[in-house]
Order: sequence, then C-alpha cells, then structure tokens
Amino acid sequence: MTLLLGAFTIGLILALLAMGVLISFRIFSMPDITTDGSITLGAAVAAVLLTKGHNPIFATAAGTVAGAASGALTGVLHTKFKINALLSGILVMTALYSVNLNVMGRSNVPLMQHTTFATWGEKLGVTLFRSEYLDLFGWRVASSDLAVLGLSLAAATAVGVLLFLFFRTHLGTAMRATGDNAQMIRALGANVETHLILGLALSNGLVALSGALLAQYQGFADAQMGIGMIVWGLASVIIGEALTGSRSLGVTIIGAVMGSVLFRLLVAIALRWGLDPNDLKLITAVFVFAALVLPGFIKKLRRAPVAPAA
Amino acid sequence: MLSISKLRHTFNPGTVNEVRALQGVDLRLDDGQFVIVLGMNGSGKSTLLNAVAGTFLPDHGKIEIAGHDVTRWPEHKRARLVGRVFQNPLGGTAPNMSIAENFALAARRGRGRGLTWALSRDLMDELRARVSTLRMGLENRLDNAIGSLSGGQRQALTLLMATWLRPSLLLLDEHTAALDPKSADQVIALSDEIIRREKLTTLMVTHSMQQAVGLGDRIIMMHRGRVLHDIQGAEKKRLRAEDLLDRFDEVRRREQLDEPAAALLQELYV
Repeated sequence: MTLLLGAFTIGLILALLAMGVLISFRIFSMPDITTDGSITLGAAVAAVLLTKGHNPIFATAAGTVAGAASGALTGVLHTKFKINALLSGILVMTALYSVNLNVMGRSNVPLMQHTTFATWGEKLGVTLFRSEYLDLFGWRVASSDLAVLGLSLAAATAVGVLLFLFFRTHLGTAMRATGDNAQMIRALGANVETHLILGLALSNGLVALSGALLAQYQGFADAQMGIGMIVWGLASVIIGEALTGSRSLGVTIIGAVMGSVLFRLLVAIALRWGLDPNDLKLITAVFVFAALVLPGFIKKLRRAPVAPAA
Repeated sequence: MLSISKLRHTFNPGTVNEVRALQGVDLRLDDGQFVIVLGMNGSGKSTLLNAVAGTFLPDHGKIEIAGHDVTRWPEHKRARLVGRVFQNPLGGTAPNMSIAENFALAARRGRGRGLTWALSRDLMDELRARVSTLRMGLENRLDNAIGSLSGGQRQALTLLMATWLRPSLLLLDEHTAALDPKSADQVIALSDEIIRREKLTTLMVTHSMQQAVGLGDRIIMMHRGRVLHDIQGAEKKRLRAEDLLDRFDEVRRREQLDEPAAALLQELYV
C-alpha cells in the first residue's frame, strides 16, 4: 500500500512535468529537450535554498522561476538566433548540466534534515488524522504519506485548473494559435517570437516546479535526476491522450495528469513483480509504444469487416 | 490611405535563382478605393501585396499606410492597420481551434492580448449576429473546429475575421483562386458587400477577368515588376473582359521580342 501511495504521489508531482511537456510538445509542436535540464534546475535551486534555511514556498517558487528562465533561453535561441528547435533545447540542457552542478556545489544535495513540503505534509497528516498511522481498507498507512498525497493532488489540480483558465484568456488563445497556424496569428498582430518564448518559459517553469517538489518529496536533489525525464513527460501525455482523447484542451490536461499517474503505477507494479530495474527504460518504451498504437488498433477492430460479395 | 513609392525588391540576388520581383512600383490609393491588381504569373502582383503586408522588407522604396511609414515595420506590427485574406483557405484560420476562438483572435487584431477571458459573452453575441449574416448556418456551430469546414466557408470566415475590426487597408490575395466556382462567387459577393458597406480601402489580386471587370473602381495591371496599365474612373466602368484580354495579348506579343528590340521599336514608332 505504501508503494501504491508513493507511486500515486510521484505520479501527481510528475503530472506537473507532463503538463509542461504538453505545452511544448502538443501546443507548440516542439520537442523541447530543455526539460531534462530544467527539472534538475528547479530541484537544485529549491534544494540549495532549503539547505540555507529558506521557506519551502520561496525555495519552490525560486526553482520555478529558474526553470522558466531556462525555457525562455531556449526560446530566444530558436527565435532570435534561428537555431533549430530541437538543437536549441539540447544546447540549453547541456549547459544546464554544469549550471546545476555549480548551483548545488556537488552532485547530490540531501534534504532530510531540512523543512520541506514533505515535512509540512507529515505534520499536517499527523494533525489532521490525529495519529501516525491509519487504517485504510485494511492496510496500515502512515498518515504523513496520505497527507503528502493530498498535497500533491491539490498542487496538480490547482495547476491544471490555472493552466486551463490561462489558455482560455486572450493571451493563452493567441499562444495556442501560434502553435496551430503561426502565419495567421502573425497577420492578426501577435508577435510570434514573444509568444513562443513565453510558452517555453511557462512550460519549463512547470517542469522545474515539478522538480522542486520531487526533490522535497524524495529528500534529495541529484544532478542526474533529470536524465530521461522528457521521455516520462511525453509518455504521460501520450498515454493520457490514449485514455481521454484530445477533443479539447481541458480533456488533454486531465489526460496528462491521469497518464502520469497511471504510468507511475504501472512501473511500480512492474517493479513489485520483480522487474529488473535495469529493464525499466525498455518497459517505458514498450508502454509508450503500446499507448501510441493501441487506440488506432482498437478503432480498426471496431469497424466490422466487410463481407466479400458472394 | 496607401502610398507606395519606388518599391524595388530582388529575391536571391546574385544567384542562379535571382528574381527581380519588383522593379520600381509607384502607387497611390485614396481612402475607400477598391483596386484590382492583375498580371501574368511572375508579374509581381503577389510580391507587391506581400511587401505591403510586411511578409518581407523591401530592398528599396517606401510604403505608407494611413499616414504611417511602415516600410521597416514587421508584419505583426502592420497587422494593426492591415486585414488580410490569403489565397490558401488553410492560411487564415487556425484549424484545431473553434470558430469562436478564431474570431476571439481576430477581435484583438493589432491590440494587446492580456489575461482577459477570450470568449466573453459580448463577443459571442456579436459573433452569432455577424456570422448569421453569412447565411451558412455556421452560427450554430461556433464551437466546432474550423478544420471541419469547407474551403469556401473558411474563406468567408477569414474575410469576416479580417474585417471584424475595421482595417485601414484590406489585402485580398487571390482569395477565391483555390475555391470551386460556386463558393468563389459567394465569397466574391460577400467581399464586395463588406467592402462597399464599410468603404474599405482594398487591394485585391486576382487572375479572373470577370472579377476584375465586375468589382472595384480601379485596375492596376502589372508586368515584370512594374505597373503597366492603370485604369480608373469612367474608363474602368466601360471596361469589359475582352478589353482586358486584348491588353494581355498585347503584352504577350511584346514578350516575344527581346527587350532591346522592343525598346527600339517603341522608340521608332511610339
């Protein structure tokens, strides 16, 4: 049960990553590799500030802003310097690797001794449930785990709702149009370059927020923690679309959150059943492949085969 | 309203693909004039429109719209003054967004876009009213994605979007060329109605003699990046499609001589 709760919690925290990837990948049709670097940047900045005794809210916010700045940089490289989108992301991600090491001062920053969101969650859990352990459907659960899960759910929901509302404003609608038909929106007076930079800043800000929260949950920030995260994000978005379809923006956002949680659950179950952690990336690829192929396959099966004329 | 002076532009200068698209164009459009631009392929008519719209910055010359010198303005800055309908029905609308959202974007042409709600009640009410004047039944499908509409419907909507906020200058770039004859006629009728009603200064490029003769109050015929004929007023009203064809033939005949010979003949006999 603890494993399940943990998977849910991480799934919800990484739903923020999925939402960030949703913005760059689906709305702007741009595969943004910066993600691998910005998630670590968010974690690094937050961790360092927390070790210096700062408020977790401030530390997390600072991490988010740092991530947004790195996204903006990718945007600038692509629009002002006309560097290919993929390459811009790779450049910034590569540079961030060193930046992150410099920010942290070493390759790993432990947070166990410091006040973080996780400690707040634990305290909240004990206060709310009035004991350290709870009985949940016959399983014995730590109330702190439950509280942290609750906080993660609240964070994912809040961000999802805010994102949905933002993309229904004039600015948000223009940003969606930038990804859909840049020629049109330029003829309607939108500065396409600025919108792209803003979009990438928003995307990577969310990713960094996810990193900051993840570091506080798992109790450390590590220079390697970002590697391969873009794949998790993409997988969540794709699995989400397979689950909910992509009819509207709201549905896509919900799908991304669900995809992230489902994905983490599947991985947790696979590991529990004795999957070798070395095979994790292979299983990830198989899951994403299945998510991409299954919806079309099911649609084909539904269409009744036409009987040949006698 | 529109003033173009000594406009020159060469694409890919100095290479094998060099194209002297505009070789000195001077043009003045008064407020409310509806001008048709004709010309053979490669005459520079679309290039002229793109130069005015700001798709590229010209090598030489000056462009003024509504008193502003826009020669160095980027395209999105000119959007404040200019409404455009593209030749490609896919070019003027965002296919994965709903009709209502497309219009929400058009309603802020040239204005800042902030965090206010895009699909406000006022917009939706006005949208329903204006779209029902098209009599295409689209006012009941405002939340459908535009990608599901036909080319004619999309161009009609793009036209409505381009003129939602009254533009100082309307640019129509062969906007019915990609449509079937029936849709083309509908869109042309709609264009004429809107332009007349709002008294919009319009520059329209077309290949169709019918449209050139039936619409507008002035015809510019372009050839090799220059304005060859400028027909306005009573002469324009008297013009028939055959007259235009004659003029095209004349140009074609001249083309069969090379330039020095044509210049010599012109000197000798004109």
